[in-house]
Amino acid sequence: MTFAFDLILCLMILGTAGIALFVRDALAAIAFFIAFGNLMGLTWLGLDAVNVALAEIAIGAGVTGVLLILARARLLALGDDATCSGTPLWLRLGALAACAGFVVLLAASVLSIPPESGLDRVVAPLMPGLGIENRVTGVLLAFRAYDTLLESFVLLGALVAVWSLAPAGAWPGRPADPGMTDAPMRRVAGTFGQLLLPVALVMAAYLVWAGSDLPGGAFQAGTVLAGGLLVAAMGGTIGLPSSDRPLLRAALVLGPAVFLAIGLAGIAAGGLLVYPEGMAKALIVIIEYTLFLSIGVTLALLVAGPPVPDASHPNPEGKG
Amino acid sequence: MVWRVADWFTLAAIFLLLTVAAALVRCWRGPGPVERIMAAQLAGTGVIGVAVVLGAARGDAAFLDAALIGTLLAAIAVTAFVRGTARPGDRSEDKE
Repeated sequence: MTFAFDLILCLMILGTAGIALFVRDALAAIAFFIAFGNLMGLTWLGLDAVNVALAEIAIGAGVTGVLLILARARLLALGDDATCSGTPLWLRLGALAACAGFVVLLAASVLSIPPESGLDRVVAPLMPGLGIENRVTGVLLAFRAYDTLLESFVLLGALVAVWSLAPAGAWPGRPADPGMTDAPMRRVAGTFGQLLLPVALVMAAYLVWAGSDLPGGAFQAGTVLAGGLLVAAMGGTIGLPSSDRPLLRAALVLGPAVFLAIGLAGIAAGGLLVYPEGMAKALIVIIEYTLFLSIGVTLALLVAGPPVPDASHPNPEGKG
Repeated sequence: MVWRVADWFTLAAIFLLLTVAAALVRCWRGPGPVERIMAAQLAGTGVIGVAVVLGAARGDAAFLDAALIGTLLAAIAVTAFVRGTARPGDRSEDKE
């Protein structure tokens, strides 16, 4: 029974991936990319890797889908036809060869892992010292904390890179207004945003809290927060802030800064990113909550794009 | 073979997965952008259903969190689509 389910799921994943790659229409490709992300999420659920499933459904299918849809709309607005144009044969064959080589390498390395050599055996005996149950959170925020610390700065660096694309004269400014242009639709989206943002906030706060002992965590929660912020911005419920607002800058760096400060304070307890005995859970929860806030705001602004000159968004309705 | 409750849930998950496949056929055929995005939404709803049923089959409540996240974020994609596609005064169906 489970085998039949797995087989159908695998076939559907291959099918959606193939269609997303080969279909000419950009919107169809995006739709199938979203479906592919959701089906991959199901696969991770089936493998009992719920943490990964949450991240895949939130980031892979959710926010990336929104990003692609908005990118297509921007291309259409610029007058491009947003369909795949012809590329030279040698480029396509070269890409095929490179991708095929990478897939073979990846498959070989996955198959070379002995079945019993998971991290679980190493991590499980160490978990009682942390006071949390979720082993993924344990690895991300204690045993391999420097990876997560660097990742949080990478996200910040990505936003700086997007902001650096702002045209001359637009800095410091607001991103292009993501709000609906049609007044009735703006009202519908506004009501929806007012409803969704609080729900997203509660869900995100729960995910961070659950992340200590159950699947969840700051990245998944931050993505949910970003989704709520984006819907609220599309309905005009909240306006996107100017990129030089001190409060905004504080929200962006809060998570990585707190993480770094706690990591540096760990030197007193024995080394960088070492948590003092018995305080691990409290510190991890503090890091996760601040990190979640920063990740949410950063992701929302990454989707919103670089600041644009004020003159080029003549939106008489203004900010909600 | 004695059917346990979990087996029935797995059977339901297979059935739901097939409805997702049917939705994806509509998504592929189109013909218009509205049909595609609505079919993608339908597929997303089906996937959420599969997650809930799988969670029941495994007895793992965390699957419901995955379903909740999918529900919350699915609506955002369609909002973004409407924002990028619709023009003022252009709210009638494509077919009309």
